[in-house]
Amino acid sequence: MTRRSPLLVAAATGLALLLGGTAFADGTMRYASIGEPPSLDQQVGTSDLSTTIAHHVFEGLYTFNGDYAPVPLLASGDTISDDGKTIVISLRDNVTFHNGKHMTSEDVVASLKRWGEFGSRGGLLFANVESVEATGEYEVTLKLTAPFGPWKNLLGFINGGAAIYPSEIAADAGGEPIAPENYIGTGPYKFVEWRPNRHIELARFEDYTSPPGDADGYGGARNAEFDTLQFVPVPDVGTRVSGLRAGDYDYAESIPGDLFEELDADEGVRTILNGGPIFGLVFMNSKEGPLKENFALRRAIQTAIDKVPALQVAIGPEKLWRANGSFLPEGNVWYTDSGIDNFSRGDAEAARAMAEEAGYAGEPIKLMVSTNYPFHYDSAVVYTKQLAEAGFNIDLQVYDWATLIQKRSQPDQWDLFVTHHGFVPDPILISVLNENYPGWWSTPEITELKAAFTATADPAKRQEIWADIQGLIYEQVPTMKTGDVYTYNIASPDLEGLESSTLVWPHFWNVSK
Amino acid sequence: MFAYTIKRLLTLIPTLFAASVLVFAFIHLIPGDPVAVLLGDTATPEEIAALSAEMGLDEPIYIQYAYWLGNVMQGDLGRSIFFQEPVTRVIADGAETSILLALMTMVWIVVLGVPIGVIAATRHGGWIDQIASGGAMFAASIPTFWLGLYLILIFAVTLGWLPSSGFPSVFDDGGLANLRYLLLPSLTLAAPNSALIIRLVRASMLDVQREDHVRTARAKGLHPAKVALKHVFRNALVAVAAAFGFTFAALISEAVVTETVFSLPGIGRLVVESILRRDYPVIQGVVLVIVCLYLVINLIVDLAYAWLDPRVSLK
Amino acid sequence: MTAALATFNQVFRGRRLALLGVGWLIIVAIAVVFAPWLTPYDPLEIDPVARLTAPNAEHWFGTDHFGRDTLARCIYGARMALLIGLGAVVVSLVGGTLIGMLSAYFTRLGHVLMRVVDVAMAFPALLLALVLMTILDRSVTNTIFVIGIVYTTTTARILFGMTLKLKNEVFVDAAVVTGAGHPSVLFKHILPNLISPLLVQATFIFAFAQLQAAALDFLGLGLPPEIPSWGNMLAESRVYVTRASWLLMFPGALIILTVFSMNLVGDALRDAIDPRFKDDIAGV
Repeated sequence: MTRRSPLLVAAATGLALLLGGTAFADGTMRYASIGEPPSLDQQVGTSDLSTTIAHHVFEGLYTFNGDYAPVPLLASGDTISDDGKTIVISLRDNVTFHNGKHMTSEDVVASLKRWGEFGSRGGLLFANVESVEATGEYEVTLKLTAPFGPWKNLLGFINGGAAIYPSEIAADAGGEPIAPENYIGTGPYKFVEWRPNRHIELARFEDYTSPPGDADGYGGARNAEFDTLQFVPVPDVGTRVSGLRAGDYDYAESIPGDLFEELDADEGVRTILNGGPIFGLVFMNSKEGPLKENFALRRAIQTAIDKVPALQVAIGPEKLWRANGSFLPEGNVWYTDSGIDNFSRGDAEAARAMAEEAGYAGEPIKLMVSTNYPFHYDSAVVYTKQLAEAGFNIDLQVYDWATLIQKRSQPDQWDLFVTHHGFVPDPILISVLNENYPGWWSTPEITELKAAFTATADPAKRQEIWADIQGLIYEQVPTMKTGDVYTYNIASPDLEGLESSTLVWPHFWNVSK
Repeated sequence: MFAYTIKRLLTLIPTLFAASVLVFAFIHLIPGDPVAVLLGDTATPEEIAALSAEMGLDEPIYIQYAYWLGNVMQGDLGRSIFFQEPVTRVIADGAETSILLALMTMVWIVVLGVPIGVIAATRHGGWIDQIASGGAMFAASIPTFWLGLYLILIFAVTLGWLPSSGFPSVFDDGGLANLRYLLLPSLTLAAPNSALIIRLVRASMLDVQREDHVRTARAKGLHPAKVALKHVFRNALVAVAAAFGFTFAALISEAVVTETVFSLPGIGRLVVESILRRDYPVIQGVVLVIVCLYLVINLIVDLAYAWLDPRVSLK
Repeated sequence: MTAALATFNQVFRGRRLALLGVGWLIIVAIAVVFAPWLTPYDPLEIDPVARLTAPNAEHWFGTDHFGRDTLARCIYGARMALLIGLGAVVVSLVGGTLIGMLSAYFTRLGHVLMRVVDVAMAFPALLLALVLMTILDRSVTNTIFVIGIVYTTTTARILFGMTLKLKNEVFVDAAVVTGAGHPSVLFKHILPNLISPLLVQATFIFAFAQLQAAALDFLGLGLPPEIPSWGNMLAESRVYVTRASWLLMFPGALIILTVFSMNLVGDALRDAIDPRFKDDIAGV
């Protein structure tokens, strides 16, 4: 037994050390996230988690205030020519990058150019851009081929958007996401390190100069009160909740609806609703298979489904969901009731008759879903059952997310798939309007409406056209909205300065503990 | 002995080569595309194809393998597609957690398992023996994630004694005290892995006591304590040491579930998440490292057998 | 029959715990056979109004977040447990026995085959299962196949060792002298001696397969999620630890009891077999 004693000694020493543990200092905010984000490069990729972290580091020319209206961030103002085709943006002259470089129009032009060529959402704007040039040290001029209404919304939406990088980094980057060593932005926090599965750490940027004005939404003054922000991947949701309750994290994201009442009542936990709802979408294949161009059959499917039981099962408490057919929520400028009578009829008999009339004879319809998002899966189970009751032969195919996104790009592999969409400030950003997005909705009707929608900057006119587009979505059914989901996060009550709800992504400037 | 060692080392090379070809072929059979995962929901097929080409992922698999093998020979495991960091760095970061977790689990196993096994053997057939063996078997019957969930609930949330999850490096703030983050996970892992050691310790003690050369030694009039120490324990040690070796290797790679429940940045979780993200270079690198580890431990165990137990012939 | 009873007595004498294990396994077997008659509920029936009901007179084990009856799902889950366990046992024993025996009997072939087994064994079990499950789709057959493959290699190793021990025994030489062909020697003379150790190995594989399947379900790479298995029930309900603890308690207890019982039975059987083979079977 002589072998054991050194180990015992080591164990005893270890225990002694462990008892003298240190709590995390007040200067650090620890955020429990659902996993690792893909690259923090905001121009390439549209992950919400990536933006939650990266919008502390990178900034765009504009951002959104509490009413989802674009306000200047790195820009200081802009003028538009009468024909709507020339936009002159003036820049703030007191902005410094994290590497010490002073920001000028050269950096902005290089960043916009890369975004236009490779950015996830850059093509939307740059399809209408003739040129982008530096017309002064702090002035950039955009020349458009035709007036383009949503330009400021696009420049303000940093997710997949026009983050401003130093020119040398933007110019060298190409289509590949920028590597961590080149995460140089202008934000109140700077990137420190990314340790796989351990954390992404940001630290206060001491030379930060805040934009003017009072804090409002993401706009106005930004003050980094924490020394460091740590974003820790905690993939198991039970552990995120336990960890926050145990005081190991200050903030934890994406908590299941069913825990809401319990956590809301817990004094040691603060629940924070997300202001902008996310919504589930069931896409239909417009390129191949039984649903191609068969709008009557698609409407039959739409008619068979009652969205409410799926929301009850997948989300839980009624406070956290709305069976709302409008793509943007009530109260938003883009809200419209056009077409929403058909949102959730749940009429199996009518659906059966419509399907018969549309020539459906029991062919299998492949419905793809991933269990990586439990609410996708839960909804799909309910829909499958409802569709079966209306006589549809649904072949439910369950994959992991990476497999699903590859399969959905192959038109012969699927007929329906379930995904969800984050809140967007302008409907032009909704994926179904992108004809390259799987589903490939590009009928002459939508193409015409889209052209009209972007050609004008007049808000009233655009809202009118959007109502027509939403009506067309309910008629041609390229996708089915499943309802609005108000996700929520939880925070330690010690955090001060948190707003009662988040706009889209939580932010931790002007927050302390 | 020396020649045997050399021979065994040489046979490792074809095994490793075969393993690397298998891994490469296997993981490219998985449907899915790392670039699509990286670019996210709105990426178009054209964007994905362009970036794949830029990263050299559109080459035929055998070409990719040749490149990879060439780089591995120079100690370069490539670059993670997802993290955009060298794979060696990513693995090294995970290795700290995995090795410390495995070591702490071994400490639990030794501290709990060996005494229980010895006591069970000395009280062979009695109720203590039954409780010890039955208890060990019961612990081995609990699904790890279930045990982990409840340990967190009891010790971190309700009692507040220990952290719930995560593991800050011992080289960062907090130093060795950070090991307290591994107390619950290592206990979770020790539960199923102690049973084997307990049974082995018990069985080896019993078996060896009955063996001829022990009886001979006793017959020759050697002091019983000396017999126990020199013959019994030394031989029992061989089997137990072998079990420890394999348990250690298993703990490095099979801790996936525990690492997920406790959000530990270890190798197991790294490889599972890399599979889900189709981060080929990381999967290849980790599997290569783990296979090497297995083979080396296997070799050490065999050599230890040969050295400690004269009955094993060196063929 | 009396001979069987005598053997049973001999194996389980003085092992009350193992007898309890046998009792539990009989209960599970009853649930497997009579599942449809034991519960009025359909394990797949969704009822959004009755979701997350705590155990009561109507739903003895409560309901899950779909409003499905947990007891019904537990009972049908027993069928899956049996299917996975038996499937994995059959795959691994058939494959492992063939590879192991042939390798030990035909030395040259054995040299090659055991090298292959070595390579396969260098891949950690769970890792191998994970990679295979990602390549194949989630389905019952694939889960059984993948878990079976993992234990084929260990079984092959064990059978290799045991066959080697028997190969040079007098009765084998005697069979060869009397002109028995290779198949006859292997399957009529050697294999019957290995049946009882194989039975022990089978109980351990059955037990391991339950835990392995539950781990795969937990990681989202096991049985299709719509199938009511104990592992899937736990995986789906892990967020309800505090909100609806019955969802974790009942399936968890079922897995633990079943695996524990199997291990106890295996342990009792192991002590009763030929002492030459005892050390070959690791078990738990």
